[in-house]
Amino acid sequence: MEFLNFVLILTAGYLVLRRPERERLAFGLLVVSSLLMATLFLVGTRGSILPGLNY
Amino acid sequence: MTTRHALYTSLTLAVLALVVGPIGIAVFVLGFGLGDSPCVLCWAQRTGMVLIALTGLFVIRFGPRPRYIGLAVLLASFGIHMGLRHSSLHLWRDVGQGFSAEIFGAHTYTWSIFIYWASVVMMGALLLVLKDGEATSVARRLRPLERVTLWLFLLMAAGNAVQAFASTGPPPYMGQSDPVRFSFNPRNWVWSTEEWRLSPVSLRGRWAIEKPDVSLAPADPGAGPLANVPVLPVARRASMSLPLDGPTTDLCYDPATDRFLVTTEKGLYITDGSFSRVLRHTVVDMGFSVDLARFTAGAFLDSRTVIALGENKSYVILRENDKADAAANFRYFLAAFDKFDEVSRSRLTTVRAKMMYVMSMAFDPASGSIYTVTVPNARAKRFVVSRFDRRDMTLSEEFTPALAAGSGLAFKAEKGSLDAFYATGAAFDGGRLYLISAAFGTLLTIDPQSRSVVAAHTIPGLVRPVGLAIKGREAFIVSADGAMSVVRLPDEAFAPVQDKEAPVVCGFRNPSHTGLCEERTPYVQGKKLDAICQPILDCLNDTRCIKTYCGATTVRQGWTLESATRAK
Repeated sequence: MEFLNFVLILTAGYLVLRRPERERLAFGLLVVSSLLMATLFLVGTRGSILPGLNY
Repeated sequence: MTTRHALYTSLTLAVLALVVGPIGIAVFVLGFGLGDSPCVLCWAQRTGMVLIALTGLFVIRFGPRPRYIGLAVLLASFGIHMGLRHSSLHLWRDVGQGFSAEIFGAHTYTWSIFIYWASVVMMGALLLVLKDGEATSVARRLRPLERVTLWLFLLMAAGNAVQAFASTGPPPYMGQSDPVRFSFNPRNWVWSTEEWRLSPVSLRGRWAIEKPDVSLAPADPGAGPLANVPVLPVARRASMSLPLDGPTTDLCYDPATDRFLVTTEKGLYITDGSFSRVLRHTVVDMGFSVDLARFTAGAFLDSRTVIALGENKSYVILRENDKADAAANFRYFLAAFDKFDEVSRSRLTTVRAKMMYVMSMAFDPASGSIYTVTVPNARAKRFVVSRFDRRDMTLSEEFTPALAAGSGLAFKAEKGSLDAFYATGAAFDGGRLYLISAAFGTLLTIDPQSRSVVAAHTIPGLVRPVGLAIKGREAFIVSADGAMSVVRLPDEAFAPVQDKEAPVVCGFRNPSHTGLCEERTPYVQGKKLDAICQPILDCLNDTRCIKTYCGATTVRQGWTLESATRAK
């Protein structure tokens, strides 16, 4: 899934550089990638979402 | 115009530093160069940084639109959470310990906290210098530095894609908790879906520990884990009628002054030897310093010094002072400011007993040792005796006691344990650690030298006992409401340890074993030495016995007892 995410990022970066008229698509990819990143982190920490320390 | 150029140059340099610095080094130097492979959480943290860099490039290309700044702040906020969450797995470890690679003295996951924090600062600075109407709807023409930065970003993103493909694989595979060293050779690639496996969702995981509660302990003596536990009859029952500030939480006796120490959740009361009146008391201010939670145990450290222990292993030590400065003590106490001085207030640190609360404490003046015993909770069920050195209040020893050979004690189940006992009171006397368990109303006698339970007795009619004190040969067991049960300690539990310090040395022979096998076991007064060694012999000749003797021999038949003597 991390590979997929970097493909999305790479595509968004390319659009910013070479196809600025596709800004909406590039930003959409940026948002999707952000959500995917957060999802993967939460999947990896679902057993203890908050830091495991004293509060 | 000049200001705007400076703004874009600053942002470009920041993005460039992020791309070439942490992200570029991570993939090209640590990854491709040194074979470092990120774990699943590191991947997310690294991706977050890449996304912040990309958001910066959006600003450089299209101007500082609010949604870019908003997304960057959200990414940095989540990034700080990721850094704290990941670092929390390792922050408590010993110096130098951590996970995977270290850069400039800190591990990678802790660096991310700083980087995300710096990103927030950058966004704040950007907003600060931004003029109204700065946002544009058309793409900017990139300057050479900005164009180079974008190309470098694409190179870095491509490098990460390559590493991610090798390390984590295409969807649905994803990163792993313990990744394999990076390699360009496909034969070394490990693609896994282990992180997708269903598991419980929890906010705090193993840190979500419920507070100890005596009422949850099963009182029925018959439900305990030990078989054939003799009953110790109650000699007399009484009730304390003292002006306390709340329910009683523990009891301790000082033979030198014939006084008892009674604790409540916040108070310490020193009474006479018959509980007829309070001689001295105070109520401790639990806040504004070390959080003492609520006192669950207390003890005399000497005839003028007492210690009270909170359930969270935090303690306060007080010394009696008839001329205490009430004004100076206002900060320490809520009542009776001129009876004690506070000596210290700190915390006991445990290892095996970590993640468990305590409700009992005892002090052995001969060895200068303070003992605490854990109470089980839903996540950690262990019976751990911890011993601390009075001189520095530091952990000296921790153990889970075994059942002493020759004690006649046995578990009902083959894999029985003491873990279900709920030690709410402790006392040290004659070299023995006595514990009263609210679970199963049982008095346990532990020999700290052999780390074993040498006696256990159920006491009828106990209702949620919270404290234990020993005066002479009598044990005073108190409940939260002040109800007292007094029992006379049996000889086998009370026998002073100095009379039986020397353990029994059992000598065993077997034709299949070279030489004499010697095993030591605690002496039990009034019992023949052969009989004390018999349980070990039985175990040696029983293939089902899981205890190990004689150098963990696998020979389980043909053993004979050749000698049984007291150790010199």
